[in-house]
Amino acid sequence: MSIDKPEEFDLIILGRGAAAFSAAIKASELTSGQATIAMTGTGPLGGTCVNVGCVPSKYLVEAAKSKIEGERQTYPGIIRGKGSLKFDELMGSLRSAVESERTEKYENVIRNYPNIKVFDGRASFTDPFTVEIINGNGRESIRGFNFLLATGSSPVVPDIPGLADAGFLTSNNIWEINRIPGRLAIIGGGFIALELGQSLQRLGSHVTIIKEHSSISKVMDPEFQMAMINTLQEEGVEFLTGVSVLSVKRTATGKVLTFASGDRKIEREFDEILISRGRKPNVAGLNLEKAGVEFSERGVRTDPYMRTSNERIYAAGDVVDQRYQLETLAAREGSIAVSNIYSPEKMKIELNLIPWAIFTEPQYASVGLTEKMANDMGINCTCRTLKIEDVPKGRILHSHNGLFRIIADPENGKVLGIEILAPYAAEMIMEGVHLIRNGSNLQDLVQTTHVFPTVAEGIKLTAQSFFRDMSKMSCCME
Amino acid sequence: MAERKVRMKIFGMTCDDCVRTVSEGLRSSGASDISIDLKSGMASFIIDDSRTDPDKLQSIPVFSGESHYKGQVRNVD
Ligand SMILES: Cc1cc2nc3c(=O)[nH]c(=O)nc-3n(C[C@H](O)[C@H](O)[C@H](O)COP(=O)(O)OP(=O)(O)OC[C@H]3O[C@@H](n4cnc5c(N)ncnc54)[C@H](O)[C@@H]3O)c2cc1C
Repeated sequence: MSIDKPEEFDLIILGRGAAAFSAAIKASELTSGQATIAMTGTGPLGGTCVNVGCVPSKYLVEAAKSKIEGERQTYPGIIRGKGSLKFDELMGSLRSAVESERTEKYENVIRNYPNIKVFDGRASFTDPFTVEIINGNGRESIRGFNFLLATGSSPVVPDIPGLADAGFLTSNNIWEINRIPGRLAIIGGGFIALELGQSLQRLGSHVTIIKEHSSISKVMDPEFQMAMINTLQEEGVEFLTGVSVLSVKRTATGKVLTFASGDRKIEREFDEILISRGRKPNVAGLNLEKAGVEFSERGVRTDPYMRTSNERIYAAGDVVDQRYQLETLAAREGSIAVSNIYSPEKMKIELNLIPWAIFTEPQYASVGLTEKMANDMGINCTCRTLKIEDVPKGRILHSHNGLFRIIADPENGKVLGIEILAPYAAEMIMEGVHLIRNGSNLQDLVQTTHVFPTVAEGIKLTAQSFFRDMSKMSCCME
Repeated sequence: MAERKVRMKIFGMTCDDCVRTVSEGLRSSGASDISIDLKSGMASFIIDDSRTDPDKLQSIPVFSGESHYKGQVRNVD
């Protein structure tokens, strides 16, 4: 590495994940490929989503689903048997899928942009215009006019005595295993824990989710949380809630966890531990003070234009202090940030229009406000919930533990939020996004004919339930 | 009135015609003494800040709407 005059760039992006790629490509488009862009980070190109996040997790979810669907006795007369599993083969195919996605959508794509130079190493500000890139070969300084902070987030690993010695998995390395853990303890119970927990249970693990709190999320409707927990329990996932893990000890046969439950201490042996206690923004080591960028342990503070407290420096994705950590949000924010750098038309992020999902079965998806969020914000709202059994397609599918909920403005009926727990919820939630984006009200929804019979009809039936007693409606009532 | 010297980075120029178009666009938005280097994309010019707001230079017509030229103010003296 050189000690010459630092190389200069129009835009330096700290990160090589979803936010970074989206920003680098959009900035290239906006400037006809003339902005000189540096992108730096560690690990494989593409960051969390493609390598250790959305892609491998959804691959595992779908594989586990196909196994259970082959075994489940859903309709009388269709005889199915217990399938067998070659876990190492499945995980090998998962890793190949990740590799080909990364090659095609990241490594090959970036080669089309000669204006983007990819660096390898962690970056740290030395002054408001300069970052130092540090890797195994040494240090190199580069200078930029604009910067995008897109350093993502990392799994939170709790400080539990004995945990490091006993060894554990996180969502960073679980994709490397080739033997399915017999007894798996998942410490923490967020979205990743639920998706991986249900999938590994379906593939043959006995999964125990260990949580200090009984809730899955602070914003989800409690009825939805209960229904989701019920589904997982029906499939054999065990929930230990209201307990805290005091210590971990490796034994000849496994890993023994000691928990406190009230005054009692309980010991349980597991074969493997997966830590899933949420993710913390990667702000450490960036030396943001030197760049005049305000941040806290919750992430980098930005305005809705994705600008930080230094007007030349923007941030996008998981590193931002905000309520969601999502691939789509990271990509959108990356694109918004560079549009605001290079275009006169300024764009804002609207978190209310960002849909998100938990890929359990049934899936949970939400957009806009939940009742809890509306209450916390002092917004008046009225809500209705409909059971999947009240939707004709739900009955045909023999679905249960499914729910639809609409949160509306009591004054004008405008849709403020939608929650769905049902098959295809992640696909159906897009209707909710358009309703909120267009400022539609419940009547607009009721007056829109949906295909019969579909699960999506549940959204319309929920809107009807604001005006009618659904138990007195025939199934083809408009 | 105060004369301000502005340096702006222009993206999207590929030939001398582009330089002429951007220069004309800057001139009609109040800039004078314009010099543009096609290779680096750097433009420097003078504005009268009582008539032209340096913060609004990025959104003058030659850089807005369907235009494929983008301008970014780098320095105002
Ligand atoms: C198991 C799992 C499943 C998920 N499933 C979904 C899903 O189904 N749908 C969804 O929308 N989201 C999902 N997510 C979330 C999604 O993956 C993230 O929100 C998204 O990848 C964040 O992108 P990012 O660009 O902000 O950060 P990342 O992709 O994490 O990229 C961060 C980049 O910054 C670099 N970096 C870190 N520190 C430094 C430094 N000091 N200097 C320079 N570079 C640095 C890293 O090397 C990396 O390249 C999932 C996440 C996980 C873990």
